[in-house]
Order: sequence, then structure tokens, then C-alpha cells
Amino acid sequence: MAKAPNPTPRPLRRVLGLLAVLIAAGALTLAALPAAAATLADSTPTPTPTATAAAQYAQIWVRVAADKSNVAGVVVKVTGPQGFSQSFTTGADGKVAVDAPTPGKYTFTLDTTSLADATLGPAINPLVITIATGDQGDPAYFLLKPGGASANPSGGTSGSGSGGGHRVNYFDLVSNLTANGIIFGLLIALAAIGVSLIYGTTGLSNFAHGEMVTFGALTGYVFSGILHFSIPVALISGFVFGGLFGYLQDLGIWKPLRRRGIGLIPLMIVSIGLSLALRYFYQFLFGPDQLVLPVPAGDTIAVGPVNLRPIDIISVIICIVFLLLVAFLLLRTRIGKATRAVADNKALAAASGINVERIIRIVWVGAGAMAGLAGVLIGYHQTLRWDTGASVLLLVFAAVTLGGFGTAFGALVGSLIIGLLVNLSTLVIPTNVQNAAALLVMILILLLRPQGIFGRRERIG
Amino acid sequence: MDFNFIILAIGQILAPQTIAFALAALGLAVCFGFTGLVNFGQAGFMAVGGYGFAITSVKLGWPLWASILAAIVAAVIFAFILGIPTLRLRSDYLAIVTIAAAEIVRYTVKTPTLNPVTGGTDGINGSSVAFDAINPIPPGRYGIGILTYNQDDLWVIIVGWVTVAVAALFVWQLMRSPWGRIVRGIREDEDAVRALGKNVYWYKMQALIIGGVLAALAVIINIVPTSLQPDNYGTQTTFFLFTIMLLGGATTVLGPILGSIIFWVVLSLSDGILSLLVSNHLIPITQVQQGPVRFILVGIALMLIIVFRPQGILGNKREAHFGA
Amino acid sequence: MPDTTNAAKATGLQIGDPAPGVKKVDPILVADNVTRNFGGMTAVDVAHVEIPRGVITALIGPNGAGKTTFFNLLTGFDKPNTGQWIYDGRNLAGVPAYKVSRLGMVRTFQLTKALSMLSVLENMRLGATKQTGERFFSALITALWRKQEKEITERAMELLARFKLDTKADDYAASLSGGQRKLLEMARALMTSPQLVMLDEPMAGVNPALTQSLLGHILDLKSTGMTVLFVEHDMHMVRTIADWVIVMAEGKIVAEGYPDAVMDDPAVIDAYLGAHHDTDLGTLTGQLEVAIDDDDSLVQQITDEIAAESANTGSTDDRKGTA
Repeated sequence: MAKAPNPTPRPLRRVLGLLAVLIAAGALTLAALPAAAATLADSTPTPTPTATAAAQYAQIWVRVAADKSNVAGVVVKVTGPQGFSQSFTTGADGKVAVDAPTPGKYTFTLDTTSLADATLGPAINPLVITIATGDQGDPAYFLLKPGGASANPSGGTSGSGSGGGHRVNYFDLVSNLTANGIIFGLLIALAAIGVSLIYGTTGLSNFAHGEMVTFGALTGYVFSGILHFSIPVALISGFVFGGLFGYLQDLGIWKPLRRRGIGLIPLMIVSIGLSLALRYFYQFLFGPDQLVLPVPAGDTIAVGPVNLRPIDIISVIICIVFLLLVAFLLLRTRIGKATRAVADNKALAAASGINVERIIRIVWVGAGAMAGLAGVLIGYHQTLRWDTGASVLLLVFAAVTLGGFGTAFGALVGSLIIGLLVNLSTLVIPTNVQNAAALLVMILILLLRPQGIFGRRERIG
Repeated sequence: MDFNFIILAIGQILAPQTIAFALAALGLAVCFGFTGLVNFGQAGFMAVGGYGFAITSVKLGWPLWASILAAIVAAVIFAFILGIPTLRLRSDYLAIVTIAAAEIVRYTVKTPTLNPVTGGTDGINGSSVAFDAINPIPPGRYGIGILTYNQDDLWVIIVGWVTVAVAALFVWQLMRSPWGRIVRGIREDEDAVRALGKNVYWYKMQALIIGGVLAALAVIINIVPTSLQPDNYGTQTTFFLFTIMLLGGATTVLGPILGSIIFWVVLSLSDGILSLLVSNHLIPITQVQQGPVRFILVGIALMLIIVFRPQGILGNKREAHFGA
Repeated sequence: MPDTTNAAKATGLQIGDPAPGVKKVDPILVADNVTRNFGGMTAVDVAHVEIPRGVITALIGPNGAGKTTFFNLLTGFDKPNTGQWIYDGRNLAGVPAYKVSRLGMVRTFQLTKALSMLSVLENMRLGATKQTGERFFSALITALWRKQEKEITERAMELLARFKLDTKADDYAASLSGGQRKLLEMARALMTSPQLVMLDEPMAGVNPALTQSLLGHILDLKSTGMTVLFVEHDMHMVRTIADWVIVMAEGKIVAEGYPDAVMDDPAVIDAYLGAHHDTDLGTLTGQLEVAIDDDDSLVQQITDEIAAESANTGSTDDRKGTA
């Protein structure tokens, strides 16, 4: 290459510069949403179950008393100790399992507006059940009878039709699951692009990426849950500290290992060790229980048949802005082009004067920042625990693999597919195997198209 | 202060858990250490073998030999399912597919719908019945001090270690044969081996099958004295196996066995010391915080071993080069 | 350059005037319509080519001409978009690489693939075909394969002696120099008792001190009745030992003929050699890639070799930073 870049790189300055741009963008996004932020919804996380299993669980089962037929698509709101509040939607078999992070008394409230047949109602509503340590499948069974108890939970259970007691029909259920799938997919995409870029530039399949997500989520928890700062502060702190974490990880672990000339598979194993150590260190610090990110009360917003909490809408906007920003950085800026050059051919990039080490450091910072942001958002979207990141790691990998390793755009599409799969699969299979379904689909797609959807065939040699 | 934990830690040398992890790690060494397959689904092989054994033995009442055969067949089928799509692809695909498949198995067996077959999250109890029925050891207590075993414990330990010895001999013979030469060649550069007319794909499949079958046998030793619990076969089990294998020496036959003994003794010792310190308020952590410490230690150990001593305790530095 | 003028060149290989795709009197390999696309780019587009039996054929062309890709296609290491090729009366399209090798068509690689964590002797033994002990159940009983192993070892030692590697038999292949590895790879390929030996840049990365013996070995192959097809950038070598030269450019065969005629053809010189007729541009590139590919400690060793050679050939191009 004829044009040699500045031979004296100032890596730190560039990193900080990039970080500043991203932060500014993030802050602007948040600033542009004051209205939405002011009307943040109730603290009910949307019914996206976590991938982890608690030590005890209850089983919701909704049936029609007359013919014992199972009723799908019924929303049941569950509240319990330590601020546990989550809505569940019954699957095709009328059942849904409720993982209880801590033992104690739980209240199960069936949302009658979600019943397709308005003439039926639960005999007893709500149900109060005590879940003891280690209980497996405590029964929370609702039998539907004509004109049953009229108790109807107030407030915004997501998934219910709004505006005058509309019934949730199959279309509404699918719409809600689709919306959730897209949100979840976008959240995964934030993390997945980091995985993809790190893989592209260093060849490392980073199994500790889940811990970068958890790191961001816990940072957000420290700022908003413990120090009581506002949501934007939680998001920005997750982003900034996530980036810092990425920077320190590269500086302290990955760069020295690259210097030692360690192979890719040993590096992958190092990331596994790091993942184990970090994950349980989080548990050591924050305990094994679920943590709650406080969200001010407010109304849900109806978008067509879909009911969304403001935080969900903010999440979507933040995700889209950041994904566009990453695309812009990669396609239009010097650093982005250099990043793609390094991903394409490291030696050639180095030969043409690109400072490969600097690019890799920037990628780590960016990946860490986005993972951190994704962590906070996932904390708001579903639940937050010491292993939240680890529980989505395989889904992130599945997304990256689906899209084609090392292609950022592919990671986005792969994430959306995974998000939709995880949510929509609950229409036909029990919720606790929804992740299994997503992983299975990944394996099946690999069978047909090993390079992923957008990967180049040559890459898999 | 109670120093019984030291004796209990020594007891780990013989414990069925140590035997099981030694066998499974030996299987992993066949896949990863000798052939270079990044099999992150060893826990999945254990689960598949375990359910193959427990379902046929407990739920269907098959005789012992038939249940063992069922476990082996289950592992072989699982190896084919995983291997056929992935063994032609780059190694990191195998890594992700195997880890995903192992998790699919775990999620699936826990499904409440399958409760009658798999026992859901409870798993399956009572795998020991057929096994203990052929126990020739007369009832009684055997051993010294607090390390005593009843006849059934002793029976498992004896059968377990004999199995380990036979498996070690089997792997050793395989690796010194021309068959072993081919897989070691594949570990380094499969195209070179392919260019010499060897069916690389089939050899990789054979290695995956052997690794899986050893995992299936391992899990039988593990569940006979206890029970089959699906969450014991999550990803952390695979990573424990990697730590054990790398600790002893991934490219050696005795390494995984030695690794398993050291791993469990050290873990047991560290748990004991920690309990002692915590219960006597010598360190400022709570009992709840004590649980994660062993995982933190394993994680750090895994990182340090692969970076600073990839050949493990018994391995040869030159051979411990796990390709890109 | 080595003295190999005593090698008698073959004549009368073709039917009619030499031209791209010309028919041969006795072809061992006939390829038709072989194409391979990468994305939108056509890497290989060979309409028709025949490789003459029992002689040495060189495949030359500028970088990116598709020579190695064509090699990969012929030996089953890559799959073509279209086309078929007949080797010894058998269509090899779609036949996997290991079966191609078993049929007697064995190849070496541009980037040497000596298995450095096996001993030199183990590398050689690996090459032997139809080993009983390579089957899983037979492997378990030493008595079934001990005798064969002994025979294989004897044959391996003979070959090693011919290639002057017998003193290194028990060393790890990692301890060999770049040139010795090329020799080992060639010797190992011969363990399969091939009919057609395909060498991908046998000279790339080889210390000048070893080039002469390497050339001698290639000529030896011909004298024992084997057919040799090799890709090479070193024009001196092509001129010295090749009986027939095929020129590729942009995936197509653009010229064919006897070495002197082809290499003096102004069209070929224009298309390929250009102004750099006397500098071995290609050789340098080959070495560079050797250095990039190996990411272990051998890199240092190889880069040192390159540095030494660059100094010898007077090249000042310092590419170490890329390794």
C-alpha cells in the first residue's frame, strides 16, 4: 500500500476519542427521550424467562374445568419475595414453569383479559402458594369455569390487550412474542457484535463475553439499585465501565498472551477459565439471588396489539442507534476500515501500516462497552443475577454462528433470528426448552450452511 | 478445631467422583489431547450415557449388562449426531456445537413433560440396584478411621478403578499403534494426513466416539453410589474436565487420572480450610460466599495451567501444542 | 544454479503443435471445463488440459493465476463449480482428497506440512498405505501389525537415506530446517507409492544449499517412472528440469509447450515475466506466506532463514514485521 499512516500511534488517545464519541451518542439518545424516560413503566419485567434454572420452581397449569382441555396464551402475573415480579404466558400445553429464585410466598394472578373465551374465568384468583427450598413444580393450577371469580389484576401486565378489555387472541399473542423477540434479539445483537469483532480481529471465541455483559449489568445495579442514580446514569455507567473493563482485560490478559504467541484454542480455554472465575466472583460479591434494577411506575404503551413498557422502547431505540453507529464506524471511519482490514487479513493490514495492536485494543474497548450496555438493558428487560450474562452467552454464540463468524452485519441478523426463535418457540414447546430450541436451530442451520447466513464459504475451509 | 477434613480430602483419592472424572477426562484426552478435537460437550456425553443407563436400568428394569450397553450405544449415537455435521468444519464450530448440544440435552431432560421418563429436575434415583445385586463383597465396614466404606461403596470403588486401569491400557495401546499415529497427525495438520490417503473424517469420528463412550462409562460409576442429577452435567462439568485433563497432561494417558485425583483432593482440602477459617471467623467472608470460591479457584487454575504449563504435570512440552 | 544438464529432456509429448489444451500422446490426467469461483471472482477456468505421463510438467503463472487452487481442485482439497477430470481412466470429480491420494495421485503443499510434533520416522511411517494397525480393532492387538510396521520402517529408512535424512530419523520434525522439511514432505509422499506426484512450490523457502539435491530428487522420480506435476516460480528450475510447461494466467491456461519455446514466447513473457524476468519475485512471496502461516515458535526460525536468503539474493525487502 502506498499510503502509510502516521507512524507514531497514540493509542490511548484514539481509544478515549472513540469512547467519547460513543458516550456522546449514548447520552444524546437518552436526552432525546425525556418524555419516555419520565413515564417509565412498572417494574414488571417482560415475560422473557431466563436461561438459568432456580433451585425451586412452581408450575402454572391453566385448564378448562369442563373438559380438562389445556388453555394456551394465558398471562399469569407472579409476585413474590425480594421484589420478584414477572408475568408468564402459558404454552401450548397450558403450562408454564415459574423459576423461583428465592423460596417464600408467591402470588399467582391470572389476567382474565388474556383469556380467549370471555365466558370462562378461574374459580380462584389469585392463588397464593408457598414455595419451599428445593420444591420442584409446586402446583399453581387454574381451572376455568363459566363466569368464574372476577378478580382481575390491575396494572400493566404485559401481553394483555389494552383499551377496553380486548381478549388476547392468537394474533395478539404472536405479536407480543414477536415484539419481545425483536427486543431480546437487539439486546443480544449488542453483545454479539462485540463477540464477532473480537473473533474477526483476534480469532478468539471469547467465552468470557457473558461475564462482560454481567459486568455491565452489575455496574448498572450498583449505580441505580444501590446508589439510587437514574436510569440514564445506570446505562452510561454500564457502557463506560464496560469499555474500561474491556480495555483492562485486553491490557492485562489478552495482549500479554498474544505476545507470548499462545494459540487460539489455548486462548479459548483461558477465556473459559476467566469466565468461571469472574462469574463466581460476581456471585461472591453480590450473592446468589436475583437483583432488581428499580424502574419507576408508569403505564405501558400500546403499539398496535403489542403492549410495551417505556424501558423496552428505550432499549430498542438505544440498540438501534448503537448498531447504526457501529455500522457507521465500521464502514465510514478510518478506524472502522482499519478494523475490517485487520479482520480480513492481519498480516496484510500490518504490512500496509495499520497498527494491529491498537485496532485490537479499540475493538476490546468497544466490545466491552457494548456488552456492558447490553448487560444493563438485559437487566431491565428480564432479570439480573450473577450469571445473567452466562445464561445468554450460548444464545449470543448461536447468533454469531448463524450470521457467520466475523461478520458484524451477520451477527445482527443472527441475533434477531435467535431472539424471535426463543420467544416464538414457546407457542409450541414448553418455555423451559425454548433456549434448547434456539440452539437446535443453530445446529440445523450449520448443517445446511456451515458458513452461516452471511459468512463467506471460504472462511470455514 | 476440626481437622477431619484432611482425612476426608485424602479419601477423595479413591472416591467414585474422582474415578468418574478420571475416566471422563481420559475420554476428553482422546478427543482433545491426542486428536485435537475441541469437544466442549463432554458433560453432554456423560448426561446421555447416564440417562441411557438409568432409564433402562431403573425405569425399564433391564439387566446390568444391557443397561451398560444402552449407555454406550447412547454415547455412540450422540457422537454421530454431533460429529456428522461438525467434524468437517473448523474446530471452533465443533466447540460451539458440542457445548450447545450438551446444554440441549440438559434442558430437554429437565422438561416437566418428560418427567415420567427422565424425572425432570429431580433426575433418577436407584441406579445402584442392579449394580449392587452382583456385589460379591460380604456386608460389613471396611477401612480405617473415618475412612470406612460399606460393602457397596467398596464394590463401586473396586469396579471403578479396574475400569480406569482397563481404559488407560486401552488408550495407551491405541495411541502407540498406527491408529494413534494418524490421530496425532490429525491434531497437528489434518490436511497433511488427508493428503497421505487417510480418511481423516472417520478417524475424528472414532476419536469422538471413544471419548464419548468413556464419558458414558464414567457417569455410571458416578451415579451408582448417588443419583442422576441433570444439573450435574452442565457446562461447568466440561470445564472441570478440561482443568483435570490439562492439569495432569492432555497428551498423556495417566495425566487425566492423576489430574482427577489432585483436582478433587485439592478442592476438598480448600473447601475444608475455607470452612475452618469461616466458622472460626478468621477471614471476613460469610458462609454463603464460601460456595463460589472453589469455582473461582478452578477458573484461575485453568487459566494458569493452559498459559504456563500447557503440557500439565506429566506431559511433554513439545507435544503440548494445541494448534489453531 | 545446480548442474542438472545431464537430465535428458523428453520430446514428442504432444499431438500437433503446442498450444493451450493440446492433446498428448499418453496423458495421465485429462481435465475438462474445470471452474472455481470465489464470490464473484473466477479463480480457475480451465477448458481443457492434459498432463503427459512419465515426465515432469511445470505449471507456472503469475501470483493469483489460480495454480494452487487448480492443484487443490485436482486433488480433492477443494470442490469445483463445474468440470471433471480423468486420472488414469477414472473420473475424479467429487472424489474426496484421501481417496485421490489412495489412487496414486499424491501432493505436497506450498506451506510445508511436516508434522513437527511427530518424529521424522513417524512422519514417514504415516505415509505408508494399507496399514493393518490403522484399523481401530486391529490397532488394539500389536501382534497384528508388528511385522508390517517393521517392513514400513525399513522402507522409510531407505527413503530417508536417499534424502539424507536418516540421521534425523528419531528427531522431531520440528527440529528440521525449512528445506529439510520440504525433503521430508516429499519423501513422505513417496511412502504412498504414488504414480503422479504433485509438488506445490517445492523450492519456496528452501535454502539455496539444498536446491540442488531437491532438483536431483525430482529428476529421480522421473527416472523411476513417476509422473511429476509441479507449481513453481523459480524460472531457472522450470527451465532446468521441466519437460513440458503449462502457463496459467487469471485462471486460464494461456500457453503450453516445451520449456525453452514457452519461456521465450514474447506473449508469455509479457503476460507473466514482464520486466522482472531475472528476479524471482514469486519465490519471495512464497517465503513470506510460509512465515505468516506458522504462528508458533518456528516463525522465528523461518524468518531468520528468509533474512539470510534475502541477504544472499541481495533483496532488501524486510517483511519480518508481518510475521
